[in-house]
Amino acid sequence: MSQITEVVKLRRKVLTEVARLTFNDQLKEEVGSILTTVVTEDGPRYRCCVHKERAVLRGRIDLALSRPMSESLADAAEKAVAGEVAADMPIINVIDEACDQCPIDKFIVTDACRNCIAHHCIASCPKKAITVHQNRAYIDKTKCVECGLCKKACPYGAIIEISRPCERACDLGAIKAGQDRKAVIDYDRCVQCGACKTACPFGAIGERSYIVQLIQQMKQGKKVVAMVAPAFVGQFGVKVTAGQLFSALQKLGFHDVYEVALGADMVTLEETHEFIESVPSQRNYMTTSCCPAFVGMIEKHLPDLQSHVSSTVSPMVATGRVVKHEVEGAVTVFIGPCTAKKVEASKYTDAVDYVLTYEELAAMFVGAGINVTEMPDNGYAPKSSRHGAIFARAGGVLESVVETATEKGLADRLNAQRCDGLANCKQQLILMKAGKSDINFMEGMACSGGCVGGPGTLTDPRVTGKLVDNYAKTSETMLAEQNDRAQQELKQTKMHRNHN
Amino acid sequence: MKKVVIEVCLGTSCHLLGAQDLMAYLERVPKDWKELIDVRGTTCLHHCGKGPNISVNGTIYTGMTPDKLQDVLSDLIEAAE
Repeated sequence: MSQITEVVKLRRKVLTEVARLTFNDQLKEEVGSILTTVVTEDGPRYRCCVHKERAVLRGRIDLALSRPMSESLADAAEKAVAGEVAADMPIINVIDEACDQCPIDKFIVTDACRNCIAHHCIASCPKKAITVHQNRAYIDKTKCVECGLCKKACPYGAIIEISRPCERACDLGAIKAGQDRKAVIDYDRCVQCGACKTACPFGAIGERSYIVQLIQQMKQGKKVVAMVAPAFVGQFGVKVTAGQLFSALQKLGFHDVYEVALGADMVTLEETHEFIESVPSQRNYMTTSCCPAFVGMIEKHLPDLQSHVSSTVSPMVATGRVVKHEVEGAVTVFIGPCTAKKVEASKYTDAVDYVLTYEELAAMFVGAGINVTEMPDNGYAPKSSRHGAIFARAGGVLESVVETATEKGLADRLNAQRCDGLANCKQQLILMKAGKSDINFMEGMACSGGCVGGPGTLTDPRVTGKLVDNYAKTSETMLAEQNDRAQQELKQTKMHRNHN
Repeated sequence: MKKVVIEVCLGTSCHLLGAQDLMAYLERVPKDWKELIDVRGTTCLHHCGKGPNISVNGTIYTGMTPDKLQDVLSDLIEAAE
Protein backbone atom coordinates (compact mmCIF):
# COMPACT_ATOMS: atom_id res chain seq x y z
CA MET A 1 0.00 0.00 0.00
CA SER A 2 1.80 3.06 -1.15
CA GLN A 3 -0.44 5.97 -0.27
CA ILE A 4 -3.23 6.32 2.23
CA THR A 5 -5.90 8.02 0.15
CA GLU A 6 -9.35 9.09 1.33
CA VAL A 7 -10.75 5.89 -0.16
CA VAL A 8 -8.37 3.78 1.92
CA LYS A 9 -9.22 5.80 5.04
CA LEU A 10 -12.96 5.24 4.52
CA ARG A 11 -12.50 1.49 4.19
CA ARG A 12 -10.34 1.39 7.32
CA LYS A 13 -12.76 3.52 9.33
CA VAL A 14 -15.58 1.09 8.50
CA LEU A 15 -13.50 -1.92 9.58
CA THR A 16 -12.45 -0.16 12.77
CA GLU A 17 -16.04 0.77 13.68
CA VAL A 18 -17.31 -2.75 12.95
CA ALA A 19 -14.54 -4.20 15.14
CA ARG A 20 -15.18 -1.69 17.93
CA LEU A 21 -18.91 -2.40 18.04
CA THR A 22 -18.30 -6.16 17.98
CA PHE A 23 -15.81 -5.99 20.85
CA ASN A 24 -18.35 -3.93 22.82
CA ASP A 25 -21.23 -6.37 22.05
CA GLN A 26 -23.12 -3.53 20.35
CA LEU A 27 -22.94 -4.53 16.70
CA LYS A 28 -26.49 -5.89 16.38
CA GLU A 29 -28.09 -2.79 17.88
CA GLU A 30 -25.69 -0.14 16.65
CA VAL A 31 -24.57 -1.25 13.18
CA GLY A 32 -26.67 1.51 11.59
CA SER A 33 -24.75 4.15 13.53
CA ILE A 34 -21.73 3.55 11.32
CA LEU A 35 -23.69 5.23 8.53
CA THR A 36 -23.69 8.49 10.45
CA THR A 37 -20.34 8.26 12.24
CA VAL A 38 -18.27 7.63 9.12
CA VAL A 39 -20.32 9.88 6.80
CA THR A 40 -21.27 12.85 8.96
CA GLU A 41 -23.86 15.55 8.25
CA ASP A 42 -21.00 17.91 7.31
CA GLY A 43 -20.84 16.07 3.99
CA PRO A 44 -21.05 15.30 1.20
CA ARG A 45 -17.32 15.09 0.76
CA TYR A 46 -16.87 12.68 -2.10
CA ARG A 47 -20.16 12.07 -3.90
CA CYS A 48 -23.19 14.06 -4.98
CA CYS A 49 -24.94 13.88 -1.59
CA VAL A 50 -24.68 12.23 1.82
CA HIS A 51 -27.35 9.73 0.79
CA LYS A 52 -25.20 8.41 -2.01
CA GLU A 53 -22.20 8.30 0.33
CA ARG A 54 -24.23 6.29 2.82
CA ALA A 55 -25.50 3.90 0.15
CA VAL A 56 -21.88 3.20 -0.79
CA LEU A 57 -20.97 2.89 2.86
CA ARG A 58 -23.68 0.24 3.29
CA GLY A 59 -21.92 -1.87 0.69
CA ARG A 60 -18.65 -1.50 2.60
CA ILE A 61 -20.32 -2.54 5.85
CA ASP A 62 -21.85 -5.63 4.21
CA LEU A 63 -18.43 -6.67 2.98
CA ALA A 64 -16.90 -6.08 6.41
CA LEU A 65 -19.57 -8.42 7.81
CA SER A 66 -19.05 -11.00 5.03
CA ARG A 67 -22.77 -10.85 4.24
CA PRO A 68 -24.51 -10.26 0.89
CA MET A 69 -25.71 -6.77 0.04
CA SER A 70 -29.31 -7.98 -0.32
CA GLU A 71 -29.75 -8.32 3.47
CA SER A 72 -30.82 -5.47 5.71
CA LEU A 73 -27.94 -4.18 7.86
CA ALA A 74 -29.59 -5.42 11.06
CA ASP A 75 -30.02 -8.95 9.63
CA ALA A 76 -26.49 -8.96 8.28
CA ALA A 77 -25.10 -7.89 11.66
CA GLU A 78 -27.13 -10.50 13.51
CA LYS A 79 -25.94 -13.29 11.23
CA ALA A 80 -22.32 -12.13 11.36
CA VAL A 81 -22.44 -12.07 15.18
CA ALA A 82 -23.86 -15.60 15.05
CA GLY A 83 -20.73 -16.55 13.11
CA GLU A 84 -22.40 -17.01 9.75
CA VAL A 85 -20.47 -16.36 6.56
CA ALA A 86 -22.18 -16.05 3.18
CA ALA A 87 -21.12 -19.32 1.58
CA ASP A 88 -21.06 -18.70 -2.13
CA MET A 89 -19.79 -15.14 -2.04
CA PRO A 90 -16.44 -14.43 -3.71
CA ILE A 91 -13.67 -12.71 -1.73
CA ILE A 92 -13.24 -9.76 -4.10
CA ASN A 93 -16.52 -7.99 -4.92
CA VAL A 94 -17.60 -4.92 -6.85
CA ILE A 95 -19.64 -2.55 -4.70
CA ASP A 96 -22.13 -1.63 -7.42
CA GLU A 97 -23.25 1.56 -5.72
CA ALA A 98 -19.64 2.77 -5.53
CA CYS A 99 -18.65 2.09 -9.13
CA ASP A 100 -18.64 5.38 -11.02
CA GLN A 101 -19.25 3.61 -14.36
CA CYS A 102 -16.11 5.37 -15.60
CA PRO A 103 -17.19 6.67 -19.04
CA ILE A 104 -13.89 6.03 -20.66
CA ASP A 105 -13.48 5.76 -24.40
CA LYS A 106 -10.40 3.79 -25.07
CA PHE A 107 -8.97 6.05 -27.79
CA ILE A 108 -9.25 9.81 -27.56
CA VAL A 109 -8.05 12.57 -29.90
CA THR A 110 -6.36 15.26 -27.81
CA ASP A 111 -5.64 18.97 -28.33
CA ALA A 112 -2.33 17.94 -29.85
CA CYS A 113 -4.16 17.11 -33.10
CA ARG A 114 -3.05 19.62 -35.78
CA ASN A 115 -5.47 18.51 -38.48
CA CYS A 116 -2.45 17.84 -40.66
CA ILE A 117 -2.63 17.19 -44.35
CA ALA A 118 -1.40 13.60 -44.33
CA HIS A 119 -4.18 12.33 -42.03
CA HIS A 120 -2.39 9.11 -41.19
CA CYS A 121 -5.12 8.41 -38.63
CA ILE A 122 -7.86 8.34 -41.27
CA ALA A 123 -5.70 6.27 -43.59
CA SER A 124 -4.88 3.75 -40.87
CA CYS A 125 -8.42 3.14 -39.66
CA PRO A 126 -9.78 -0.14 -41.04
CA LYS A 127 -13.35 0.78 -40.05
CA LYS A 128 -13.45 4.30 -41.49
CA ALA A 129 -14.35 5.55 -38.02
CA ILE A 130 -12.30 8.75 -38.22
CA THR A 131 -13.45 11.96 -39.82
CA VAL A 132 -12.47 15.59 -39.36
CA HIS A 133 -14.75 17.86 -37.36
CA GLN A 134 -14.03 21.39 -36.20
CA ASN A 135 -10.48 21.24 -37.47
CA ARG A 136 -9.65 18.07 -35.56
CA ALA A 137 -9.84 14.30 -36.06
CA TYR A 138 -12.95 12.73 -34.55
CA ILE A 139 -13.45 9.06 -33.70
CA ASP A 140 -16.97 7.75 -34.23
CA LYS A 141 -17.52 5.42 -31.24
CA THR A 142 -20.22 3.49 -33.03
CA LYS A 143 -17.71 2.36 -35.67
CA CYS A 144 -14.48 2.18 -33.60
CA VAL A 145 -13.31 -1.34 -32.73
CA GLU A 146 -10.49 -0.08 -30.48
CA CYS A 147 -7.72 -1.64 -32.56
CA GLY A 148 -5.30 1.21 -31.78
CA LEU A 149 -3.88 1.62 -35.29
CA CYS A 150 -4.70 5.35 -35.34
CA LYS A 151 -2.74 5.89 -32.14
CA LYS A 152 0.29 4.26 -33.71
CA ALA A 153 -0.16 6.16 -36.97
CA CYS A 154 -0.33 9.72 -35.60
CA PRO A 155 3.10 11.40 -35.91
CA TYR A 156 2.19 13.86 -33.14
CA GLY A 157 1.11 11.20 -30.67
CA ALA A 158 -2.15 13.13 -30.51
CA ILE A 159 -4.32 10.05 -30.03
CA ILE A 160 -4.03 8.53 -26.59
CA GLU A 161 -5.17 5.26 -25.15
CA ILE A 162 -6.74 5.26 -21.73
CA SER A 163 -8.46 2.52 -19.79
CA ARG A 164 -10.37 2.08 -16.59
CA PRO A 165 -8.00 1.74 -13.62
CA CYS A 166 -9.50 -1.61 -12.61
CA GLU A 167 -9.07 -3.03 -16.11
CA ARG A 168 -5.52 -1.80 -16.35
CA ALA A 169 -4.65 -3.26 -12.95
CA CYS A 170 -5.91 -6.72 -13.85
CA ASP A 171 -3.23 -8.71 -15.64
CA LEU A 172 -5.70 -11.50 -16.38
CA GLY A 173 -8.47 -9.55 -18.10
CA ALA A 174 -10.94 -10.58 -15.43
CA ILE A 175 -12.66 -7.24 -14.85
CA LYS A 176 -14.65 -5.45 -17.55
CA ALA A 177 -17.30 -2.82 -17.92
CA GLY A 178 -20.71 -4.48 -17.93
CA GLN A 179 -23.73 -3.39 -19.92
CA ASP A 180 -24.45 -0.40 -17.71
CA ARG A 181 -20.70 0.39 -17.63
CA LYS A 182 -20.43 -0.81 -14.04
CA ALA A 183 -17.45 -3.05 -13.41
CA VAL A 184 -18.13 -6.78 -13.54
CA ILE A 185 -15.68 -9.45 -12.43
CA ASP A 186 -15.46 -12.65 -14.46
CA TYR A 187 -14.78 -15.16 -11.69
CA ASP A 188 -13.74 -17.83 -14.19
CA ARG A 189 -10.71 -15.65 -14.90
CA CYS A 190 -10.24 -13.89 -11.52
CA VAL A 191 -7.71 -15.23 -9.00
CA GLN A 192 -8.73 -12.73 -6.28
CA CYS A 193 -5.26 -11.14 -6.09
CA GLY A 194 -6.77 -7.80 -5.08
CA ALA A 195 -4.95 -5.64 -7.65
CA CYS A 196 -8.22 -4.03 -8.81
CA LYS A 197 -9.17 -3.23 -5.23
CA THR A 198 -5.96 -1.26 -4.77
CA ALA A 199 -6.30 0.43 -8.16
CA CYS A 200 -9.88 1.74 -8.11
CA PRO A 201 -9.83 5.46 -7.18
CA PHE A 202 -13.51 5.28 -6.19
CA GLY A 203 -12.97 2.39 -3.79
CA ALA A 204 -15.61 0.43 -5.69
CA ILE A 205 -13.97 -2.92 -5.19
CA GLY A 206 -13.75 -4.47 -1.78
CA GLU A 207 -12.93 -7.72 -0.09
CA ARG A 208 -15.03 -9.56 2.41
CA SER A 209 -13.77 -9.71 5.94
CA TYR A 210 -14.19 -12.19 8.79
CA ILE A 211 -13.43 -9.85 11.68
CA VAL A 212 -16.85 -10.12 13.34
CA GLN A 213 -16.99 -13.90 13.14
CA LEU A 214 -13.45 -14.09 14.50
CA ILE A 215 -14.02 -11.73 17.42
CA GLN A 216 -17.04 -13.86 18.35
CA GLN A 217 -14.81 -16.96 18.46
CA MET A 218 -12.51 -15.13 20.88
CA LYS A 219 -15.48 -14.05 23.00
CA GLN A 220 -16.63 -17.66 23.25
CA GLY A 221 -13.28 -18.51 24.82
CA LYS A 222 -11.97 -20.61 21.94
CA LYS A 223 -8.24 -21.12 21.61
CA VAL A 224 -7.74 -18.73 18.71
CA VAL A 225 -4.18 -18.99 17.41
CA ALA A 226 -2.56 -16.27 15.27
CA MET A 227 -0.30 -17.41 12.43
CA VAL A 228 1.62 -14.35 11.35
CA ALA A 229 3.01 -14.30 7.81
CA PRO A 230 6.64 -13.18 7.36
CA ALA A 231 5.66 -9.89 5.67
CA PHE A 232 4.51 -8.57 9.08
CA VAL A 233 7.84 -6.83 9.73
CA GLY A 234 7.31 -3.07 9.85
CA GLN A 235 3.60 -3.26 8.94
CA PHE A 236 2.44 -1.66 12.20
CA GLY A 237 5.13 1.02 12.23
CA VAL A 238 8.80 1.06 11.29
CA LYS A 239 9.92 0.83 14.90
CA VAL A 240 7.36 -1.73 16.14
CA THR A 241 9.17 -4.93 17.16
CA ALA A 242 7.94 -8.50 16.74
CA GLY A 243 7.78 -8.72 20.53
CA GLN A 244 5.47 -5.69 20.72
CA LEU A 245 3.20 -7.02 17.99
CA PHE A 246 2.96 -10.44 19.61
CA SER A 247 2.14 -8.87 23.01
CA ALA A 248 -0.58 -6.86 21.28
CA LEU A 249 -1.99 -10.01 19.64
CA GLN A 250 -2.25 -11.71 23.01
CA LYS A 251 -3.89 -8.68 24.54
CA LEU A 252 -6.38 -8.66 21.67
CA GLY A 253 -7.48 -12.18 22.61
CA PHE A 254 -5.23 -14.59 20.72
CA HIS A 255 -4.36 -17.69 22.74
CA ASP A 256 -0.96 -18.07 21.09
CA VAL A 257 1.12 -16.68 18.21
CA TYR A 258 3.07 -18.67 15.59
CA GLU A 259 5.25 -17.32 12.83
CA VAL A 260 4.34 -18.73 9.42
CA ALA A 261 8.11 -18.63 8.80
CA LEU A 262 8.09 -22.05 10.51
CA GLY A 263 5.91 -23.43 7.72
CA ALA A 264 8.10 -21.57 5.21
CA ASP A 265 11.17 -23.42 6.47
CA MET A 266 9.27 -26.69 6.12
CA VAL A 267 8.22 -25.73 2.59
CA THR A 268 11.81 -24.85 1.66
CA LEU A 269 13.00 -28.29 2.70
CA GLU A 270 10.10 -30.15 1.11
CA GLU A 271 10.11 -28.17 -2.12
CA THR A 272 13.87 -28.64 -2.56
CA HIS A 273 13.38 -32.37 -2.00
CA GLU A 274 10.49 -32.45 -4.47
CA PHE A 275 12.55 -30.60 -7.08
CA ILE A 276 15.50 -32.97 -6.78
CA GLU A 277 13.19 -35.99 -7.01
CA SER A 278 11.10 -34.83 -9.96
CA VAL A 279 13.21 -32.57 -12.19
CA PRO A 280 14.28 -33.58 -14.80
CA SER A 281 13.17 -37.21 -14.37
CA GLN A 282 9.39 -36.57 -14.32
CA ARG A 283 9.09 -33.00 -15.60
CA ASN A 284 11.48 -30.54 -17.18
CA TYR A 285 10.67 -27.66 -14.82
CA MET A 286 8.86 -26.93 -11.58
CA THR A 287 7.30 -23.77 -10.16
CA THR A 288 6.76 -22.72 -6.57
CA SER A 289 3.31 -23.11 -5.01
CA CYS A 290 3.19 -20.70 -2.07
CA CYS A 291 1.44 -17.79 -3.84
CA PRO A 292 -2.25 -18.73 -4.20
CA ALA A 293 -2.93 -16.13 -6.91
CA PHE A 294 -0.03 -17.48 -8.98
CA VAL A 295 -1.27 -21.07 -8.56
CA GLY A 296 -4.81 -19.88 -9.30
CA MET A 297 -3.64 -18.26 -12.52
CA ILE A 298 -2.11 -21.52 -13.70
CA GLU A 299 -5.31 -23.40 -12.83
CA LYS A 300 -7.54 -20.93 -14.66
CA HIS A 301 -5.37 -19.66 -17.49
CA LEU A 302 -2.71 -22.30 -18.19
CA PRO A 303 -4.31 -25.53 -16.97
CA ASP A 304 -1.92 -27.69 -19.04
CA LEU A 305 0.90 -26.58 -16.76
CA GLN A 306 -0.68 -27.67 -13.50
CA SER A 307 1.54 -30.73 -13.29
CA HIS A 308 4.55 -28.39 -13.20
CA VAL A 309 3.43 -26.65 -10.02
CA SER A 310 5.07 -27.96 -6.87
CA SER A 311 2.63 -30.16 -4.98
CA THR A 312 4.04 -28.93 -1.66
CA VAL A 313 1.43 -27.04 0.35
CA SER A 314 1.92 -23.37 1.19
CA PRO A 315 3.63 -22.17 4.39
CA MET A 316 0.17 -21.10 5.64
CA VAL A 317 -1.23 -24.63 5.33
CA ALA A 318 1.90 -26.27 6.77
CA THR A 319 1.83 -23.93 9.78
CA GLY A 320 -1.91 -24.47 10.22
CA ARG A 321 -1.42 -28.23 10.35
CA VAL A 322 1.34 -27.89 12.95
CA VAL A 323 -0.87 -25.68 15.13
CA LYS A 324 -3.90 -27.99 14.81
CA HIS A 325 -1.65 -30.86 15.87
CA GLU A 326 -0.11 -29.04 18.83
CA VAL A 327 -3.03 -27.05 20.22
CA GLU A 328 -6.13 -29.10 20.77
CA GLY A 329 -9.29 -27.33 19.64
CA ALA A 330 -7.31 -24.50 18.07
CA VAL A 331 -9.07 -22.01 15.81
CA THR A 332 -6.33 -21.02 13.35
CA VAL A 333 -6.09 -17.53 11.88
CA PHE A 334 -3.64 -16.66 9.13
CA ILE A 335 -2.64 -12.99 9.30
CA GLY A 336 -0.98 -11.74 6.14
CA PRO A 337 -0.92 -9.28 3.26
CA CYS A 338 -3.05 -11.36 0.93
CA THR A 339 -6.65 -11.55 -0.30
CA ALA A 340 -6.11 -14.72 -2.36
CA LYS A 341 -5.16 -16.56 0.84
CA LYS A 342 -8.82 -16.26 1.85
CA VAL A 343 -9.68 -18.44 -1.14
CA GLU A 344 -6.84 -20.87 -0.47
CA ALA A 345 -7.88 -21.25 3.18
CA SER A 346 -11.37 -22.31 2.13
CA LYS A 347 -9.79 -25.32 0.36
CA TYR A 348 -7.79 -26.37 3.44
CA THR A 349 -10.37 -26.34 6.20
CA ASP A 350 -8.30 -28.90 8.12
CA ALA A 351 -5.53 -26.32 8.55
CA VAL A 352 -6.90 -22.78 8.41
CA ASP A 353 -10.14 -21.42 9.88
CA TYR A 354 -9.89 -17.68 9.20
CA VAL A 355 -7.72 -15.28 7.23
CA LEU A 356 -7.09 -11.66 8.18
CA THR A 357 -5.08 -9.02 6.36
CA TYR A 358 -2.70 -6.74 8.25
CA GLU A 359 -5.14 -3.95 7.49
CA GLU A 360 -8.01 -5.84 9.14
CA LEU A 361 -5.83 -6.71 12.14
CA ALA A 362 -4.83 -3.07 12.61
CA ALA A 363 -8.51 -2.10 12.48
CA MET A 364 -9.20 -4.71 15.18
CA PHE A 365 -6.39 -3.28 17.35
CA VAL A 366 -7.82 0.21 17.02
CA GLY A 367 -11.36 -1.06 17.62
CA ALA A 368 -10.18 -2.74 20.81
CA GLY A 369 -8.27 0.36 21.91
CA ILE A 370 -4.85 -1.28 21.58
CA ASN A 371 -1.94 0.89 20.47
CA VAL A 372 0.82 -1.45 19.30
CA THR A 373 3.49 1.26 19.62
CA GLU A 374 2.80 1.47 23.37
CA MET A 375 2.90 -2.30 23.99
CA PRO A 376 5.79 -3.83 25.94
CA ASP A 377 8.24 -5.98 23.96
CA ASN A 378 7.86 -9.52 25.23
CA GLY A 379 11.42 -10.30 24.15
CA TYR A 380 10.44 -12.49 21.22
CA ALA A 381 13.34 -13.57 19.02
CA PRO A 382 12.69 -15.17 15.62
CA LYS A 383 12.71 -18.94 15.93
CA SER A 384 12.78 -19.84 12.28
CA SER A 385 15.68 -19.49 9.88
CA ARG A 386 16.57 -16.60 7.64
CA HIS A 387 15.01 -18.59 4.80
CA GLY A 388 11.58 -18.64 6.39
CA ALA A 389 11.72 -14.90 6.99
CA ILE A 390 12.67 -13.87 3.45
CA PHE A 391 9.65 -15.64 1.91
CA ALA A 392 7.99 -12.24 2.42
CA ARG A 393 9.77 -10.57 -0.46
CA ALA A 394 10.18 -11.46 -4.13
CA GLY A 395 13.09 -13.79 -4.66
CA GLY A 396 13.00 -15.18 -1.12
CA VAL A 397 11.59 -18.62 -1.92
CA LEU A 398 13.98 -19.04 -4.81
CA GLU A 399 16.96 -18.05 -2.68
CA SER A 400 15.93 -20.48 0.05
CA VAL A 401 15.54 -23.44 -2.31
CA VAL A 402 18.77 -22.65 -4.19
CA GLU A 403 20.76 -22.35 -0.96
CA THR A 404 19.25 -25.57 0.40
CA ALA A 405 20.17 -27.42 -2.78
CA THR A 406 23.65 -25.88 -2.68
CA GLU A 407 24.14 -27.22 0.84
CA LYS A 408 23.35 -30.66 -0.53
CA GLY A 409 25.96 -30.15 -3.24
CA LEU A 410 23.31 -29.97 -5.94
CA ALA A 411 23.57 -26.32 -6.94
CA ASP A 412 24.29 -27.20 -10.57
CA ARG A 413 20.93 -28.95 -10.87
CA LEU A 414 19.06 -25.66 -10.62
CA ASN A 415 18.59 -23.02 -13.27
CA ALA A 416 16.30 -20.69 -11.39
CA GLN A 417 14.32 -17.58 -12.27
CA ARG A 418 12.00 -15.40 -10.23
CA CYS A 419 9.00 -13.46 -11.50
CA ASP A 420 6.73 -11.03 -9.71
CA GLY A 421 3.53 -9.54 -11.09
CA LEU A 422 1.02 -11.86 -12.75
CA ALA A 423 1.72 -10.58 -16.27
CA ASN A 424 5.45 -11.29 -15.88
CA CYS A 425 4.73 -14.73 -14.44
CA LYS A 426 2.37 -15.59 -17.26
CA GLN A 427 4.86 -14.47 -19.89
CA GLN A 428 7.64 -16.58 -18.40
CA LEU A 429 5.34 -19.62 -18.12
CA ILE A 430 4.34 -19.31 -21.76
CA LEU A 431 8.02 -19.25 -22.75
CA MET A 432 8.69 -22.35 -20.66
CA LYS A 433 5.64 -24.11 -22.08
CA ALA A 434 6.87 -23.39 -25.61
CA GLY A 435 10.29 -24.78 -24.74
CA LYS A 436 11.89 -21.38 -25.33
CA SER A 437 13.43 -21.13 -21.88
CA ASP A 438 15.91 -23.38 -20.16
CA ILE A 439 14.78 -22.32 -16.69
CA ASN A 440 13.93 -25.39 -14.61
CA PHE A 441 12.84 -23.76 -11.35
CA MET A 442 10.60 -20.72 -11.24
CA GLU A 443 9.39 -18.64 -8.32
CA GLY A 444 6.04 -17.01 -9.11
CA MET A 445 4.59 -14.15 -7.04
CA ALA A 446 1.41 -12.38 -8.10
CA CYS A 447 2.18 -9.11 -6.34
CA SER A 448 4.93 -6.80 -7.43
CA GLY A 449 7.75 -7.11 -4.90
CA GLY A 450 6.29 -10.33 -3.49
CA CYS A 451 4.11 -10.52 -0.37
CA VAL A 452 5.29 -7.16 1.00
CA GLY A 453 3.54 -5.62 -2.02
CA GLY A 454 0.22 -7.33 -1.23
CA PRO A 455 -3.18 -5.59 -1.17
CA GLY A 456 -3.64 -6.14 2.58
CA THR A 457 -0.45 -4.38 3.67
CA LEU A 458 -0.16 -1.12 5.57
CA THR A 459 3.19 0.23 4.44
CA ASP A 460 5.33 1.03 1.45
CA PRO A 461 6.85 -2.22 0.12
CA ARG A 462 10.13 -0.45 -0.65
CA VAL A 463 10.52 0.18 3.07
CA THR A 464 9.20 -3.13 4.36
CA GLY A 465 11.22 -5.16 1.83
CA LYS A 466 14.39 -3.87 3.48
CA LEU A 467 12.99 -4.32 7.00
CA VAL A 468 12.20 -7.96 6.16
CA ASP A 469 15.84 -8.55 5.22
CA ASN A 470 17.07 -6.85 8.40
CA TYR A 471 14.74 -9.00 10.52
CA ALA A 472 15.80 -12.15 8.66
CA LYS A 473 19.42 -11.47 9.58
CA THR A 474 18.51 -11.66 13.27
CA SER A 475 17.24 -15.24 12.85
CA GLU A 476 18.77 -17.88 15.06
CA THR A 477 19.83 -19.93 12.06
CA MET A 478 20.59 -18.94 8.51
CA LEU A 479 19.39 -22.05 6.67
CA ALA A 480 16.07 -23.88 6.78
CA GLU A 481 18.04 -27.11 7.19
CA GLN A 482 19.38 -25.89 10.52
CA ASN A 483 15.87 -25.33 11.89
CA ASP A 484 15.50 -28.49 13.98
CA ARG A 485 11.89 -27.72 14.77
CA ALA A 486 10.99 -27.55 11.07
CA GLN A 487 12.88 -30.81 10.42
CA GLN A 488 10.94 -32.47 13.25
CA GLU A 489 7.52 -31.15 12.16
CA LEU A 490 8.20 -32.18 8.58
CA LYS A 491 8.19 -35.83 9.63
CA GLN A 492 4.69 -35.69 11.05
CA THR A 493 2.94 -33.14 8.83
CA LYS A 494 1.10 -33.80 5.57
CA MET A 495 3.01 -31.59 3.17
CA HIS A 496 1.46 -32.37 -0.20
CA ARG A 497 -1.66 -31.31 -1.97
CA ASN A 498 -2.42 -34.39 -4.02
CA HIS A 499 -0.49 -37.38 -2.80
CA ASN A 500 1.37 -38.79 0.28
CA MET B 1 14.62 31.37 14.50
CA LYS B 2 13.80 28.65 16.97
CA LYS B 3 13.16 25.33 15.27
CA VAL B 4 9.54 24.34 14.68
CA VAL B 5 8.91 21.20 16.74
CA ILE B 6 6.71 18.74 14.86
CA GLU B 7 5.52 15.64 16.66
CA VAL B 8 3.92 13.04 14.40
CA CYS B 9 1.72 10.47 16.10
CA LEU B 10 2.79 6.99 14.97
CA GLY B 11 0.27 5.13 17.17
CA THR B 12 -1.75 2.34 15.55
CA SER B 13 -4.85 4.47 14.96
CA CYS B 14 -2.90 7.24 13.21
CA HIS B 15 -0.72 4.70 11.41
CA LEU B 16 -3.85 3.13 9.94
CA LEU B 17 -5.04 6.54 8.72
CA GLY B 18 -1.80 7.54 7.03
CA ALA B 19 0.76 8.87 9.53
CA GLN B 20 3.51 7.35 7.41
CA ASP B 21 2.54 9.63 4.50
CA LEU B 22 3.21 12.62 6.79
CA MET B 23 6.59 11.20 7.77
CA ALA B 24 7.42 10.56 4.11
CA TYR B 25 6.46 14.16 3.33
CA LEU B 26 8.61 15.55 6.16
CA GLU B 27 11.57 13.56 4.89
CA ARG B 28 11.39 15.18 1.47
CA VAL B 29 10.82 18.87 2.39
CA PRO B 30 13.27 21.31 0.76
CA LYS B 31 16.68 21.59 2.38
CA ASP B 32 16.19 25.14 3.69
CA TRP B 33 13.00 24.00 5.47
CA LYS B 34 14.69 20.95 6.88
CA GLU B 35 17.02 23.14 8.90
CA LEU B 36 14.05 24.93 10.44
CA ILE B 37 12.11 21.91 11.66
CA ASP B 38 12.65 19.31 14.33
CA VAL B 39 10.64 16.16 13.54
CA ARG B 40 9.86 13.71 16.32
CA GLY B 41 7.70 10.60 16.46
CA THR B 42 5.30 10.00 19.32
CA THR B 43 3.03 7.11 20.25
CA CYS B 44 -0.18 9.03 21.07
CA LEU B 45 -1.49 12.59 21.02
CA HIS B 46 -4.84 11.55 22.58
CA HIS B 47 -7.10 12.41 19.65
CA CYS B 48 -7.41 8.83 18.40
CA GLY B 49 -9.87 8.19 15.57
CA LYS B 50 -9.48 11.68 14.10
CA GLY B 51 -6.01 11.00 12.79
CA PRO B 52 -3.51 11.23 11.53
CA ASN B 53 -2.64 13.74 14.24
CA ILE B 54 0.37 15.97 14.67
CA SER B 55 1.51 18.55 17.14
CA VAL B 56 3.27 21.65 15.82
CA ASN B 57 4.94 23.71 18.56
CA GLY B 58 2.41 22.21 20.96
CA THR B 59 -0.72 22.84 18.88
CA ILE B 60 -2.59 19.68 17.89
CA TYR B 61 -3.83 19.28 14.32
CA THR B 62 -6.15 16.35 13.49
CA GLY B 63 -7.00 14.75 10.14
CA MET B 64 -3.71 15.84 8.63
CA THR B 65 -2.63 15.22 5.07
CA PRO B 66 0.72 16.13 3.51
CA ASP B 67 -0.98 19.10 1.76
CA LYS B 68 -2.46 20.48 4.98
CA LEU B 69 0.86 19.98 6.76
CA GLN B 70 2.63 21.95 4.06
CA ASP B 71 0.19 24.85 4.57
CA VAL B 72 0.74 24.83 8.34
CA LEU B 73 4.51 24.82 7.91
CA SER B 74 4.67 27.50 5.25
CA ASP B 75 2.48 29.81 7.39
CA LEU B 76 4.79 29.35 10.37
CA ILE B 77 8.00 29.73 8.43
CA GLU B 78 6.79 32.76 6.49
CA ALA B 79 5.61 34.42 9.71
CA ALA B 80 9.05 33.89 11.22
CA GLU B 81 10.75 35.48 8.22
